[in-house]
Amino acid sequence: MLYRFSTGAVALVALTLAGAVAQAHDETKYPDLRGQWSRGKGGAQWDQSKPGGLRQEVPLTPEYQAIYEANIKAEFSGGEAYNPQAVCMPSGMPRMMIAYEPLEVIVTADVTYIRVDHMSEFRRIYTDGRSWPGKIDATFAGYSIGKWVDQDGDGRYDVLEVETRAVRGPHAYDHNGVPFHKDNQAVFKERIYLDKGNPDIMRDEITSIDNALTRPWMVTRTYYRNRNTSWYEHICVEDNHHVIIGKESYFLSPDGLLMPTRKDQPPPDLKFFSQARK
Amino acid sequence: MPWKLTCFLICGALVVAGGAAMAHHSFAMFDQQNLIDLEGVVKEFRYSAPHAFIILDVKQEDGTIETWILEGVSPSALTREGWSRETLNPGEQIKVKVAPLRSGAPGGWWTIDKVNFRDGRPVPGNP
Repeated sequence: MLYRFSTGAVALVALTLAGAVAQAHDETKYPDLRGQWSRGKGGAQWDQSKPGGLRQEVPLTPEYQAIYEANIKAEFSGGEAYNPQAVCMPSGMPRMMIAYEPLEVIVTADVTYIRVDHMSEFRRIYTDGRSWPGKIDATFAGYSIGKWVDQDGDGRYDVLEVETRAVRGPHAYDHNGVPFHKDNQAVFKERIYLDKGNPDIMRDEITSIDNALTRPWMVTRTYYRNRNTSWYEHICVEDNHHVIIGKESYFLSPDGLLMPTRKDQPPPDLKFFSQARK
Repeated sequence: MPWKLTCFLICGALVVAGGAAMAHHSFAMFDQQNLIDLEGVVKEFRYSAPHAFIILDVKQEDGTIETWILEGVSPSALTREGWSRETLNPGEQIKVKVAPLRSGAPGGWWTIDKVNFRDGRPVPGNP
């Protein structure tokens, strides 16, 4: 009898688990986001609809506009101390969504993951209905909570709405150095969806809310699907030749020696080295 | 704002933005307005992250060899254009148009469409 009861209980548990698993893998409820998502041949400026640099027309406060112009000026003279990604630091949010290398979107019932091979970054967007934790340790990717929305009521989700908080610096929107406020309080709201007319195009409307901005700044980034996926390992530190020491940017020779990047660039300060300079 | 500063910022932004189509770092350190032609022997082809490198031995007028380090796009981007780590091999002679380092040091930036074998063989992705 006991054996029978145990068997029944096990069967019941198994059925319950099977149901849960079936729910977790009910792909018909979600948009098909499989494949490789590339940003296409366009540039890597944050707002793809405008040229890079000042023509991005970023709604920055005067203080941060001055920082941005200083970054561009430094960049034009060969320096990019404002750009930690040049030395393989993570892009963080939202820059990781530029898709320097293709993105992979992995949808599960509780979490949507976005793999970013560039800089080996990874996003977790929790869709399990959780509330914001009382305290979040800031990370480069931040903490993201999402919600799937069935906009047209056809029983299938169309849009993933995401909010991301607790993003740590240093970071910038793009390689031109559009800055964030140094308080690292930026919040990002996204709407991720497939193009209605072409399911091989994915869009991400990303709104940045930051104290360096005079108003929320919304851009729409576009990605193109490649279904014949082939993934490449991209370990940035493998052979990176860009070096930032202080506010100076240098380049490494094949033998690993420092090379100047601009005319009359001073070498690094060697005061902690005892031997005489050659 | 004085017009010279305005021009510097806008023109500079255009240059750095235009050249940085594929990378995580700026390309402003490379002079994209004054490309130079190099001919030499491939010493090494590094098909490595984050960017591929051609190490090129270039013979100088006085007969000495100067070794250049030339940065390109990422291996994954090259692969999508039909390249592999065997596309260039040590000992092969190539001609390449590069954006040199602004400092004058022997370094530069190359793109697929500006590389040619001296023996006339086609280079993948180079029409």
